[in-house]
Amino acid sequence: MQRHTRRIFNLCYRFTSNRQEAEDLSQEVFLRVYRTLPSYRSAYGAFGTWVTSVTRNLLIDHYRRTRRDRLTDSIEDVLPQVEEKESAGRRPDHSAAVVELGVHLQKALGKLSPDLREAVIMRDLEGLDYREIQTVLEVPEGTVKSRINRGRIELARVLDQMGIRPD
Amino acid sequence: MNWNCENIEERLSDYLDGGLPKAEAATFSAHVAGCARCTQLVASVRGLVGALHALEPVAPPPHLVSSILDQTSGPRTSRSSWRSWLGWTRAVWQPRFAFGALTVVVTLVVVTQALGVQWHTPTLADLNPVNLYRSADREAHLIYARGAKFFSDLRVVYEIQSRLQSNEPEAPPQKPPAAQPAAPGKSEGPETTPLNQNHADYGTKQFTRFASALWMAPARSKP
Repeated sequence: MQRHTRRIFNLCYRFTSNRQEAEDLSQEVFLRVYRTLPSYRSAYGAFGTWVTSVTRNLLIDHYRRTRRDRLTDSIEDVLPQVEEKESAGRRPDHSAAVVELGVHLQKALGKLSPDLREAVIMRDLEGLDYREIQTVLEVPEGTVKSRINRGRIELARVLDQMGIRPD
Repeated sequence: MNWNCENIEERLSDYLDGGLPKAEAATFSAHVAGCARCTQLVASVRGLVGALHALEPVAPPPHLVSSILDQTSGPRTSRSSWRSWLGWTRAVWQPRFAFGALTVVVTLVVVTQALGVQWHTPTLADLNPVNLYRSADREAHLIYARGAKFFSDLRVVYEIQSRLQSNEPEAPPQKPPAAQPAAPGKSEGPETTPLNQNHADYGTKQFTRFASALWMAPARSKP
């Protein structure tokens, strides 16, 4: 339970860049999982992959629902404080540069299109393999690879525009 | 394969993830080494992937799990005070625990009996290590003495039995009883025949004689 909660919360946070939304979405994910648990079949894939799939669907729904609000909202106002507080609380010796890089990475992720963002998050932050991502996104493996590749290049360009060059 | 900048961009993740065959990876590297634009692209994406992998997961808020549990399995009902106090006793009624407790009690009783602790007049002196040692020593000697006596008694009994058997004379030849026709209507169940009666009398006489001899033996041995 703890492990799944942590993973789902991170997935939601990396996608929405908002801690409160991530918390609400995580609760919603588990509520949906609880309700639809009888429909889960092992043939569909591992339980973790199924939960990720439920999360992804909710995230996309949420993205569509809040598109208008996001146009007037700015994550820059809340994101740095949240990330800095989080990281500093856990690792006091964490260098300021790494904390800052994390903040910029999250900011850059938020500027990607949802298709590319979710692919990069699942691959490079959650460590899912191509087959699992293919199951979650329900697209061919070639599309998964293409989205990850384009997502990485796009993210690197966004960071470059922000003047950030991770080594 | 002849690589151009467009191909390099398309296969960049395959190259970074080690998904390219060796020959293709070599030609890929050769193009990148000779192209400033691709060198910069590969370096920035490689750095980005490294940074993403190094990004630490965010800790969820502490109350998230309990909130989820409340929403899925319902809010936890608060028990009344005496029930919450007696909640731990539920574990005691488990058969495993009950058998374990019983075994411990029996073991304690056996050990305290062996140590000679007298619980009817419990004193602090009973728990003194010196007294415990003495009691245990006394009990051990008593057990040994009882065992030795029992063994000795067994030997005496065996000796008596063997003497009885050795003193028993050969059964005198007896005339077979005259064949008597069975009385009509009389059952042929087990009953005391004259022969059995003789044996019983003979055994009793022998035992009486032997017992008196045994009784008189010390007296006779006296000068």
